[in-house]
Amino acid sequence: MTLLAQYALTGVVTGCFLILATIGFSLTRQVEGFLNIAHAEMLGVSAFITWGLNAGAGWPFIPSAVVAIVVTAFLGLAIGRIVYDPMRRLGPAVLLITSVGVSYVIAGVMHAVIGTGIRSLDMPLATSYKLFGLRISNYQIAVVALAVVTGLSLALFMNRTRTGLAIRAMSSNPELAASRGIDVRQTSRATWLIGSGLAGVAGVMLALIATLSTDIAFNQILQILAVAILAGLGSLYSVIVAGLIVGLAMDMSVYFIPAGYRPLIAFAVVILALLIRPEGLSGKARS
Amino acid sequence: MQTLLSIIMFGSLFGVLTLSLNLQYARGGMINFGTVAYFAAGAYVYAIVTQEPPEGLDQYLLGLDAPWWAGFLAAGVASMAFAILTGWPTLRLRGEYLALTTFAFAEMLNSLLINERRIGNGTVGLSNVERPDPAALGLPDSYVYAGAAFLLMIATALAFRRLLASPYGRAIDAIRDDETAAQAIGKDISRLRFQVFVISAIPIGFAGALYAMITTLVSPELFSAEVTFLVWIALVLGGERTLVGAMLGTMALIGLQELIRAIPFESVRAAEIAAAGEDIVTGILFIIILRWQPFEALVRRKHAE
Amino acid sequence: MTRDLLVVDRLIKRFGGLKAVGGDTGLSFSVARGTFLGLIGPNGAGKSTTFNLISGVLKPDSGAVLLDGVDLAKARASEIASLGLGRTFQTPRAFPSLTVLDNVVVGAHNDGETIGSAIFGRWRAEERRLRDRAASVLARVGLADRVNDHVGNLSGGELRMLEVARQLVRDPKILLLDEPTAGVDPSLQAKLSNILVDLHAEGRTLIVVEHNLHFLLRIADSVVVLQNGQLLSQGTPGEIKADEKVITAYLGSDHAA
Repeated sequence: MTLLAQYALTGVVTGCFLILATIGFSLTRQVEGFLNIAHAEMLGVSAFITWGLNAGAGWPFIPSAVVAIVVTAFLGLAIGRIVYDPMRRLGPAVLLITSVGVSYVIAGVMHAVIGTGIRSLDMPLATSYKLFGLRISNYQIAVVALAVVTGLSLALFMNRTRTGLAIRAMSSNPELAASRGIDVRQTSRATWLIGSGLAGVAGVMLALIATLSTDIAFNQILQILAVAILAGLGSLYSVIVAGLIVGLAMDMSVYFIPAGYRPLIAFAVVILALLIRPEGLSGKARS
Repeated sequence: MQTLLSIIMFGSLFGVLTLSLNLQYARGGMINFGTVAYFAAGAYVYAIVTQEPPEGLDQYLLGLDAPWWAGFLAAGVASMAFAILTGWPTLRLRGEYLALTTFAFAEMLNSLLINERRIGNGTVGLSNVERPDPAALGLPDSYVYAGAAFLLMIATALAFRRLLASPYGRAIDAIRDDETAAQAIGKDISRLRFQVFVISAIPIGFAGALYAMITTLVSPELFSAEVTFLVWIALVLGGERTLVGAMLGTMALIGLQELIRAIPFESVRAAEIAAAGEDIVTGILFIIILRWQPFEALVRRKHAE
Repeated sequence: MTRDLLVVDRLIKRFGGLKAVGGDTGLSFSVARGTFLGLIGPNGAGKSTTFNLISGVLKPDSGAVLLDGVDLAKARASEIASLGLGRTFQTPRAFPSLTVLDNVVVGAHNDGETIGSAIFGRWRAEERRLRDRAASVLARVGLADRVNDHVGNLSGGELRMLEVARQLVRDPKILLLDEPTAGVDPSLQAKLSNILVDLHAEGRTLIVVEHNLHFLLRIADSVVVLQNGQLLSQGTPGEIKADEKVITAYLGSDHAA
């Protein structure tokens, strides 16, 4: 029983990571209107910049992470402006396929610069704490804390600032938003910055809790997609629930069936959900 | 020469996949991001049907020791069956949801092949896949298999062309043009879509069987999502409107890969960089073609004349 | 006793809480075989929504539609079309990748339109027969010389005629036309009027939504007036012209203009 609870706790940590990894993806989906497959590669970019500055150049962890997040955010903005903006009229299907091409380019650059092999940060080993008989490491706590802080600041930003409100207006009805005088271009830029920045934060988390290899991003997109579909590609709040469901389902399944089935569980949950409730958790019916 | 043969062989094989994708996407309006799954289904079923029953260290459960043509036909049936299984619940989902579910199904199949060792020895895969010995034809193996792959591609293209040039194809075009208007003349959209989805899976299964014969190995590693992306890139490269474009696009892409592979490298690191460079070039080409759509413009110009 | 061909029974449809059709009691009317029914009403009266509910493009929140005694509640739009209900759309819908002739042939019931016939090539005889029929229908709507044209080259009015032809080739039990004169020049309107009168004389059942009252009241033999999604009045064109409620609600403003 304790073991199952331990898996559940790990599931919550995984869930927190998935939430952050997915929110940026869902935000782009809502405002820009397409599924950005390359979002996962941005996690990789951020994780490797963190690693490069920390383990390579010998910087302490926090400044490395901050620089990684900022660079990732601006890289995302640049890609959005250069690649996707001129193609918007071609529709979401073409943009989705284009983002596969973008993934290839980013992954190719990472392979060329970093090469294969497994890396990890130059950080002290994780210390474990006992909590009601369950073990949790300081890095896992950091992930949960980072998720909570980022989530709360995002919620505040979306509800209290002009840009946040504009993003929300754009995501619910772009034409109406444009006719009400919202600056579509500027809102779109802000979305790229925030969405990629969130990918940057998630990438830093990844660097903290996982060993890094260049194909790490691809493995993440599967789980991000799973969470995003489950959440319904619609609401940001449903991403939180969906992220926790997928995280818990994946990690707790290890108690019952071989660990290799972990990714399969994520998609089993999603396919079940799609069959029962095609519009996703958020319940927003889309035509 | 060896490189040229490889290009024809693999270009044709993946050309079959691109043709099927062309039918599904350009005609049927369906985004299938799980193409590799139908390919894998064909390859594995071919291997299982033709291999000998398990012995010694083998972990797989089933080996039917049937002749190669039985395995080849079974591969087509398997791919079709998998299309029915995955298409039936998902085709009422549109656009990006369909893309995501097909992707998910492919990943699930891959994960099942890795974890369920009784299917095909897990990650190790099934090696020494049986294949007909073409020695009777008096030609080297590679010539015969390159020829077989080319024939399969041409046969697929001809079958699809026959389908599309018929009243059935016209109904498919009508649905792609305007769903609501097609419904108003009694076209059952979901039924027709489902049919297109299932039909186009059959040649993918055949290609899978042929792939297993050529490599004499099937393992989960060979059937990752990269195959799906490769075929999508080939489709875009060739212009999605025509069957000829789909075939040429695949040949060009495979040609690029094989040429890079044929360059002798001094070190592992150099080879690694070359492989990465190949990805970068492919990705950039892909974006450029999607962005400016040169083939679409060509077709439009032809229409206007 | 002859059963009414189309029965609309207490139909209600809301969009996001707003009552689009039916109000509280629901919209009910019925159409006897061989009737030429005009459906009129001011903008936003729910005419097109009613059409979409009858043809299955939209599903009602409650109420029923019966075509020749068959309940259409569970039927998809394509099944309703196959049961013999033809319709055109407010904005004409053509299939841009097909020629004018193919746009019509594709509408016909075609035994050769299966995968089997495609593979075995058993569709050519049926195709020839249907092409002839489609060509004669196109001639009837005045598009005889545009048969091999690209639909992109047709005018708005011609596209409407093409849509009518595509439905006529199906030989529907009942034909619903949504604003057939909108954007159509006067000479083509006269032709359309003649075609509709002919179709009616052949014993076909027609329902036509129109803004152009003069056009409709001259040729329809029965009229239903909608207002706010509800039945305001029903009768012959003569009765409708004399109905005070209709005059104030609709004709009044139109006559003043």
